[in-house]
Amino acid sequence: MTARGRFAVGALLAALLVWPWVAPRYFVFLASVILVNVIVAIGLNLLSGYTNQLSFGHAGFLAIGAYTTAVLTLRAPGLPVLVTLVLGGLATAAVGLAFGVPCLRLGGLYLTMATLAFGFVITEAILNLDGLTRGADGLRVPAARLGALALSSDAARYYLTAAVATVMVAAAVNLVRTRTGRAFLAIRESEIAAQASGVPVAAYKTLAFGLSAFYTGVAGGLFAFVVGFLSPDAFDVFLSVDFVVMIIVGGLGSVPGSIIGATVVTVLHDGLAAFQNYRPLIFGALLIACMLFMPGGMTRALSRVRRR
Amino acid sequence: MTAATLVHVVVSGLATGSIYALMALSLVIIYNATRTLNFAQGEMLMVSTFVGWTAQRAFGLPLAVTLLVAVVAAGVMGWLVERIVIRRSIGATHWDVLIITLGLSLMLRAGAGLAWTHDEFPFPSFFGSRPIALGPVRLAPVSLGIIGASLALMAALYALFTWTRVGRAMRAVAQNQQAARLMGISVERVYASSWMLAAMVGAVAGVLVAPVVFLSSKMGLIVISGFTAAVIGGFGSMPGAVLGGMLLGVIENLAPLYLPSGIRYSVPFLVLIAILLVRPAGLLGRIEQRKV
Repeated sequence: MTARGRFAVGALLAALLVWPWVAPRYFVFLASVILVNVIVAIGLNLLSGYTNQLSFGHAGFLAIGAYTTAVLTLRAPGLPVLVTLVLGGLATAAVGLAFGVPCLRLGGLYLTMATLAFGFVITEAILNLDGLTRGADGLRVPAARLGALALSSDAARYYLTAAVATVMVAAAVNLVRTRTGRAFLAIRESEIAAQASGVPVAAYKTLAFGLSAFYTGVAGGLFAFVVGFLSPDAFDVFLSVDFVVMIIVGGLGSVPGSIIGATVVTVLHDGLAAFQNYRPLIFGALLIACMLFMPGGMTRALSRVRRR
Repeated sequence: MTAATLVHVVVSGLATGSIYALMALSLVIIYNATRTLNFAQGEMLMVSTFVGWTAQRAFGLPLAVTLLVAVVAAGVMGWLVERIVIRRSIGATHWDVLIITLGLSLMLRAGAGLAWTHDEFPFPSFFGSRPIALGPVRLAPVSLGIIGASLALMAALYALFTWTRVGRAMRAVAQNQQAARLMGISVERVYASSWMLAAMVGAVAGVLVAPVVFLSSKMGLIVISGFTAAVIGGFGSMPGAVLGGMLLGVIENLAPLYLPSGIRYSVPFLVLIAILLVRPAGLLGRIEQRKV
C-alpha cells in the first residue's frame, strides 16, 4: 500500500470513529445504512464482479440474514450479537450454496433470471412462514445484546455496524491476495483462460456464491438491528436492482468501487427524498449521465483522472 | 372442476400468455441486435399506450386510429432513445447499458406519473364483453381477440424477418455483427430499426392489455413477465419467446385452481427454475459455444 493509500485508510477509520460525536442523530442512522449497503455491495461484487454471475436476488439473501438474526434474537435472547450475526450469515450462505450449485450450469441472463425468481420466492416464503416471521404484519426487532449490554441507541448500533463492516472490508481486501482471490481475479479476466490454466472454475464460482451470500446475510442481520422493523415488502426486487446499481456505478470487481457505489447510491436516495415525485426522474437521469460519462464506473474514472 | 371451466381457464391463460409473448419478443428483438437487456421496455409500452389514450380522449378518435397513434409514438420514442442515448454508449460494456436502460425506465415511469398521475384509468376495448358460448364452454371475447391479434402480429413479424431486407439485415446482425458489416449492412441502422420495431410491438401489446389491467404508470412491470417468458423459451429465440409466453400465461392461470393461494405468485418462478435446471438455455435456446 502506498503512503497516500495508508493515509486515506487512516483518515477514513478516524472519520468512522468520531462520526457519532460530530453528526446529528439522523446522519448517524444514515451512516449505519450506508455501512450495511457497503457490506452487501462487496458481497454482490464478489459474485458479479469477479465471477461474472449477475444477481438480481440479493434482496432475498439480505432478507434471509435479517430474519434469521431477528428471530434468533427474539427466541434466544441470551446469545451475544456477534453469534447471531454469524449464524445469520451462515444460514444465508447455506441457502446460497443450495441455490448456487444447481445454478452453476446457467450462464449470463439465465442466471440473472434465476436469481430474480429466487428473490420473488423468498418474499413469498416469508409471508407464508408467518409463525416465525409474522408475515405481512412485520416483525419488530429487539435491541442487539452484547453480554449484559443492550445496544439500543443509534450510536451503539452504528458502532456495531462500523466494526463489523471494517472487519469485512479488510477481509475482502486481503482475500484478493490469497490463492482464492487470485483465482477470482483470473475468472474475472477470462473464464476460459482461467479454466485452461488449471483454475477449478466451478469450485470457485460455488465458493463465490457462498461467500457472497454470507456477506449479504451478515449485512441483513445488521440491517435488522439498524432499521428495527422487518416486513417482506422491504426486500422487493427494486432493492436487488439498487444493489446492482451500486456495484456497476461504483465499479465491478473492485472493493473500493463497492464502497463508493454503496455510499453514492444510498446518499442520493436519501438526499433526493425531498423531491418526492421528481426523485426517480432525477435519479434515473443521474444514472444515465454517470454511465455515459464514466463508462466502467466511478473507480475507473477516478484512476483515469489520477493517471493524467 | 368441469372440463368447460378448464377450457375457459386455459384460453384466458393463452390470452395473458400472448401479451407476455409480445413483451418477450420485443425484448428479444433488441437483445439480438444490441446484446442489451432493455429494462425500459415495459415503461416504453406504458408511455406509448398513454399517448394513444390521450389522443383518443382529446380528438375522440376511433380505437383503430388510437392504436396507430400509440404505435407511431412508440416508434418515434424507440428511435429517439436509440439515437440520443444508446448510440453514444456503443463502445460501453453491457453492464453500463443495462444501468442506462434502468435509468430510462425510472425516468419514464416518473415522467408518466407527472404527466398522467399514478391513478388507474379504464381503457376502451376492441372487443365486446358478452361471453361467447360454444356448447358448454363460455369464452370471453377479449381473450379470443387478444390471442387472434397477437397471432396476427407474430405472423407479420415472421414475414418481416423472412422476406424483407430490413428483417434479413436484423437476422444477419444477430448472427454475426462483423460479418454483417462486411456484407454492407449498416449495423447502426439495424440498431435503430430494432429499437423502433421492439417499441412498436410493445405498443400493440399495451393497447391490447390496457382494457384488461387498466391503464396506469405501474403497467411497465409486465416487463418482468416478458423477461421470464423469454428466458423460459431460450433468450434470443423468437419461437422460444412465443412458447415461453404462452406457457407462462397458462401456468399462471392454472396454478390458483390446484395450489394453495399462499404460493400462487411463486409458481411461475419455481417452474422457471425447474425448467432451467433441466434445460440451462431455456426450452428452445442453444448454449452458445465461445471460441477463444
